[in-house]
Amino acid sequence: MFDAIVVGSGMSGGMSAKELCERGLKVLVIERGRKITPEDYTDGLRPWEVPNAGMVPEEDLARHYKIQKDSFITAATQQYWVKDDENIYDTPADKPFAWVRGYHLGGRSIMWGRQSYRLSPQDFEANATDGHGSDWPIRYDDLAPWYSHVEKFIGVAGSKEGLPQLPDGEFLPAFGLNDGELMFKAAVEKAFPTRKVIPGRTANLSVAQPHHEELGRTSCQARSLCDRGCSYGAYHSSISSSLPAAQRTGNLTIVTDQIVHSVIHDPKTGKATGVRTIDQNTKVGKTYEAKVVFLNASTIGTAQILLNSKSEAMPRGLANSSDMVGRYLMDHLFALSTAGIFPNGPADSFYHGRRPNGLYIPRFRNVTEAGEGFVRGYGYQGGVSRMGWRTGMGQPGIGAELKARARKLGPWFSYISGFGEMLPNPGNRVTLSATKTDRWGIPVVEVNCEHGPNEAAMTKQVLADGKAMIEAAGGIVVSQAKGPGDPGLAIHEMGTACMGKDPKTSVLNKYNQAHDVPNLFITDGAAMASSGCQNPSLTYMALSARAAHHATEFLKAGTI
Amino acid sequence: MTDLSQMDRRTLIERAAWLLGAAAVPGEALARVAHQAGQAPRPFLTPTRMTLLSAVADTIIPQTDTPGALGAHVPAKFDALLQNWASAERKVELVGALTKINDAAMAQQKKGFAALTPAERKAFLAPYDIAALKAVPDTRGLKGMAAMMAGPAVADPGYAKMRELIILLYYYSEEALTTELVYEHSPGGWTPSIKVTPETRNTGGLGMF
Repeated sequence: MFDAIVVGSGMSGGMSAKELCERGLKVLVIERGRKITPEDYTDGLRPWEVPNAGMVPEEDLARHYKIQKDSFITAATQQYWVKDDENIYDTPADKPFAWVRGYHLGGRSIMWGRQSYRLSPQDFEANATDGHGSDWPIRYDDLAPWYSHVEKFIGVAGSKEGLPQLPDGEFLPAFGLNDGELMFKAAVEKAFPTRKVIPGRTANLSVAQPHHEELGRTSCQARSLCDRGCSYGAYHSSISSSLPAAQRTGNLTIVTDQIVHSVIHDPKTGKATGVRTIDQNTKVGKTYEAKVVFLNASTIGTAQILLNSKSEAMPRGLANSSDMVGRYLMDHLFALSTAGIFPNGPADSFYHGRRPNGLYIPRFRNVTEAGEGFVRGYGYQGGVSRMGWRTGMGQPGIGAELKARARKLGPWFSYISGFGEMLPNPGNRVTLSATKTDRWGIPVVEVNCEHGPNEAAMTKQVLADGKAMIEAAGGIVVSQAKGPGDPGLAIHEMGTACMGKDPKTSVLNKYNQAHDVPNLFITDGAAMASSGCQNPSLTYMALSARAAHHATEFLKAGTI
Repeated sequence: MTDLSQMDRRTLIERAAWLLGAAAVPGEALARVAHQAGQAPRPFLTPTRMTLLSAVADTIIPQTDTPGALGAHVPAKFDALLQNWASAERKVELVGALTKINDAAMAQQKKGFAALTPAERKAFLAPYDIAALKAVPDTRGLKGMAAMMAGPAVADPGYAKMRELIILLYYYSEEALTTELVYEHSPGGWTPSIKVTPETRNTGGLGMF
């Protein structure tokens, strides 16, 4: 028997495992996908060595990647994306939901965008303030030290800005804004005095510290090949940092290719005793036992496990006396992009290197400026850069002229893309099919999720503000999205086992501990009571570290 | 630009071998050729269409003070894309785009496109290119990343795709990235501001912009 089982090895699972191992617990990490190592990374491929000019074969896309193709899949990263036809789920025809996944050791921590922002005091109070969702049982101050703890470990490059809606953290030096971005920043901040344009905060080691180097990580080489996996370990992933840190304690065991079917619950003690798994290749079932179970299977995966863990004692699924498991599914409004060209950009300036990051415009709506008909808010991610050789690709022109145009530095070009908070709505939910199972015999997930009126009103303002800011900086808007991508496309799905104060209306307490099952902890996106508009992985990791601390204390005290 | 109509048989054979990489020297280049050969044991395009593709690619990206599409082996790579990347519909679209150019040349010039002189080819293809890339109302219904990255809808999407692939294959090639543009696989760090000089060239790679 292990002290703890951690289900999932991605962003939150890796951190849970590290923190539990470092507190002396014997930990088993169970990963449903295959093992991968840095030797599997494709970051060594030069452009001319990437198959098919970086494009995934079209028939593969149609056959295997019907959902994933709408995300960031390329020929150089194809190995990381699940095949949709082999990993099925259902949605109503009129409510598409994009479940974007990577099933392998390290999960989506290999593929993430690395943007790392704290939620703010306002975010933790939002549900209480406007009455949507379950009030968070913790406030910012409860999580602040754990944000610091995680930021120091993973390494976050960023600038201190002193903004209440985007608290500062323990930062490595920021990847600086280029001259086009500095021009944009000056113009936006002059035209809109309470808005800020800042360097994105990213989990790339701008300057590796000794504790990073101890894990074999080195400083970022500005290659911007992160999505292929980084042989330098220069961005945080479970494979580059959290699992190696767990491994060096001598307390970690990892098994891969084991899909967790359900959590085993002992009705006599009221506790979880372990998990049932199915080998993804042989389909052989197995049982693992532990004193504590952490679910980090990702938001929808965790809900699936809980709902599939029903028993006589818990007929609606494990830890689901509230009937809240699966509900409050959220994502961020995504792909609300505005692009513009700046004829007034600094013509004599360029930059060197491929920065693995961009700029960020922290939330200002319903902070310093009112929202028009909506609550909550949004931030923007994007960048300003010189248009490159692709400038000529879509425009007419052939021959030497085309080559000359491609060789010449283009004008400064900006895109900014709004990421908007989606309200927690109990009707947006994950359930299990009563009739359909996957190829491992596990009931298929059904996702029923849609944007509501608040998101529709927010969308209009995201686009209007985006246009106004580019124009304020002298830009000419050349394209703009018409609306957000389908829910799920931000790959920020969260909220299916929400934290809350009341066991009747939430699944987890302030320690991420299931109200109904004291030795069950959930610290992936499922735990989120609201989404904020910030990229959520840093919060998942902070919650994981904090919960690991409390779980260990409870275990030592004999209370779980 | 290469005058395909003036080639003798021997030159054509040499060129065909060159297009397939057979003239490349041992080492990395040979390995690359072997890799390509492994992916494409038999060319997808007929010799006639390969000649037509070569003429089109050479007209879109000719040799200047740097290698052009032929020097970067774009036709062979395009053929490999047809075999390894393109869907059945895409193959029809791309081959159709090539055929359409040839048919238009026949109708207008009374000669196949590849039989035209370089100057005639350019004179013919330049207005063809403008007409084909004319923006039209967008009915594609794209979403997500595809919508974010897509250019405007155009009058002849088949030609636009063929042209895009030729340009992509050229600018992703080692030849273009070491002569026409600048590519450093590992820049070593980020410097946010450097002065543009007369020697400054665009950087290349697989990134979006």
